[in-house]
Amino acid sequence: MSGEEDATVREPLDLIRLSLDERIYVKLRSDRELRGKLHAFDQHLNMILGDVEEVITTVEIDDETYEEIVRTTKRTIQFLFVRGDGVILVSPPLRTA
Amino acid sequence: MLFFSYFKDLVGQEVTVELKNDLAIRGTLHSVDQYLNIKLENTRVVDQDKYPHMLSVRNCFIRGSVVRYVQLPPDGVDVDLLHDAARREARGG
Amino acid sequence: MAATTGLESFVDQIISVITNDGRNIVGLLKGFDQATNIILDESHERVFSTKEGVQQLVLGLYIIRGDNIGVIGELDEELDASLDFSKLRAHPLKPVMH
Repeated sequence: MSGEEDATVREPLDLIRLSLDERIYVKLRSDRELRGKLHAFDQHLNMILGDVEEVITTVEIDDETYEEIVRTTKRTIQFLFVRGDGVILVSPPLRTA
Repeated sequence: MLFFSYFKDLVGQEVTVELKNDLAIRGTLHSVDQYLNIKLENTRVVDQDKYPHMLSVRNCFIRGSVVRYVQLPPDGVDVDLLHDAARREARGG
Repeated sequence: MAATTGLESFVDQIISVITNDGRNIVGLLKGFDQATNIILDESHERVFSTKEGVQQLVLGLYIIRGDNIGVIGELDEELDASLDFSKLRAHPLKPVMH
């Protein structure tokens, strides 16, 4: 009975439900970010994402100049289960009324 | 319950479990419980040169709380089934 | 319900535990509970370093609290005996960052 989607938003998880099958942005602990299509989630924010791009940001200090060197590492994963306890925020796709 | 059920259906398939200490372990999913603790068989650490700490381990139990990701087999994901299950779960199971 | 995932098949086997602070403890699994608290007999720690081979520290009878456990591996004793730990060099494992 998923044809008629309940579009009312009463709580944060409703907004995530409305993002099913859409690409979302997820910020995680340990300086990781994911972009992918949301296929499943639960109340812990455990998720399954598809066509995921992960970006890891690392900061190193140059030995001589002591300057901060910011590096990003990217990789793609076809299907990924993400454990909810590492999730900091979820951003739904931009929509227009 | 959604993911517990999902992983139970995935038993027998190859997965890669990435831990919160950056260790990645590949193996055949043997079982899962309600905490999403995972048991793998025929395991190998993805980067064995960097992580020789489990060289003589072939079966292992991974505590759910230390899992960051599980890389899933593409044919182990039925997206329509998952969407329906997620909506059911959102309505309170 | 959790019986299938439990650690019963590891009981009386040599196991290798990776703790959340990155240590590696090897011993004989004598018991466990739902919270993954475990009893390890004749245990020793394997200390990895990049400067020298793996050092073994004798610990004895240990009870490890489940909250501090990351991975419990069943040690293949034959495979383990074939490794030359004096030549293995590696950084210690990183702690688990929750």
